[in-house]
Amino acid sequence: MKLLSKSLVTLGVMATLGGLSVAVAADVGSTPSITPKAMADALHLVMDSDRAVYTKKIVNRLVKKEKVIKASEHFEDDKALVLPAQMFRFGSELAAKRAADMPDVNFNYSLQSMWPVNKQNAPKTEAEKAGLKFVAENKGENYYAEETLGGKKYFTAIYADTAVAPVCVSCHNDHKDSPKRDFKLGDVMGGVVIRIPL
Amino acid sequence: MAAVVVLFAAATAGAGSLPYVEFSDEHLYFGRIVWLGTCENCHGYGVADAPIPMKPNEWRHRVSKQREILYDHAINGFFGPDDSYMPERGGNTALSDAEVKAAVDYMVELAKFYIDETGEEK
Ligand code: HEC
Repeated sequence: MKLLSKSLVTLGVMATLGGLSVAVAADVGSTPSITPKAMADALHLVMDSDRAVYTKKIVNRLVKKEKVIKASEHFEDDKALVLPAQMFRFGSELAAKRAADMPDVNFNYSLQSMWPVNKQNAPKTEAEKAGLKFVAENKGENYYAEETLGGKKYFTAIYADTAVAPVCVSCHNDHKDSPKRDFKLGDVMGGVVIRIPL
Repeated sequence: MAAVVVLFAAATAGAGSLPYVEFSDEHLYFGRIVWLGTCENCHGYGVADAPIPMKPNEWRHRVSKQREILYDHAINGFFGPDDSYMPERGGNTALSDAEVKAAVDYMVELAKFYIDETGEEK
């Protein structure tokens, strides 16, 4: 615990100095290396772009503009589109399942919140807790930390997840299991946590 | 040209030292309060692709639109060509038409301020 918070502090300093120089594990004997931060940023860019496209080109267009279908948490019963957050979660679950059979692919990602509708998605590690708080309080900034879990060292990056559409706000504010009910559009609701072993 | 009272104004909304210029005009002062309360959460950061008034390239083609059209888009919602979505009243249904219009006026004035500041080139 003590060690962890110490490494968090050190890392904070390094991050402000403009990035880390640790290379991702020497896999496949490849010569070019990438820093964990650059890798996490690239992964997040892809996830976030896909998510934005789903939100705009599928949900906004069909639900809000053309009004031909609804988006609903209970998409099966309602024969509706999955919510953008669900789309993201299903992707992360599938990636975790497929990565289990790929020894060279060592990372995982999840969508978490300090105010989770589903308690399973609350932060667990110290870095997750500190990072979710940080991105909620410093809009527009990301959080990076190193943490040691079960004797293994990880690089953990956290990116804010923001309420981009009224449906994000109404679903969370009205949900019977939601611990926070005063979200506004544009508020940080949680964060994407990407963890890479070092 | 509207007189600029405080350049890097902050205290009013506890928003930190952010570049949300305060203009002396009373209507714009009121508009700024509405804007900080509802619109800044997206327009201050580009959330959901909301155009940022401090970025001239995102506003140059909008400040020249008819003001009535901007009001209509802010009150009734608006889809951009890219299916980005400006929700009705910024999602705050408690706002009156007059409040939303004042916030639009403030945002346009803020955008013009930055367009003037940076001249023609970006
Ligand atoms: C979800 C975040 C969000 C919030 C909150 C929000 N907007 Fe917007 N707004 C957008 C987006 C996205 C666009 C861009 C649509 C486009 O042109 O692609 C936009 C565009 C606009 C435009 C330009 C419309 C045009 O015709 O070019 C105006 C004016 C505007 N918003 C006013 C407001 C006002 C006033 C508020 C507060 C009452 C507000 N917005 C709150 C997301 C938001």
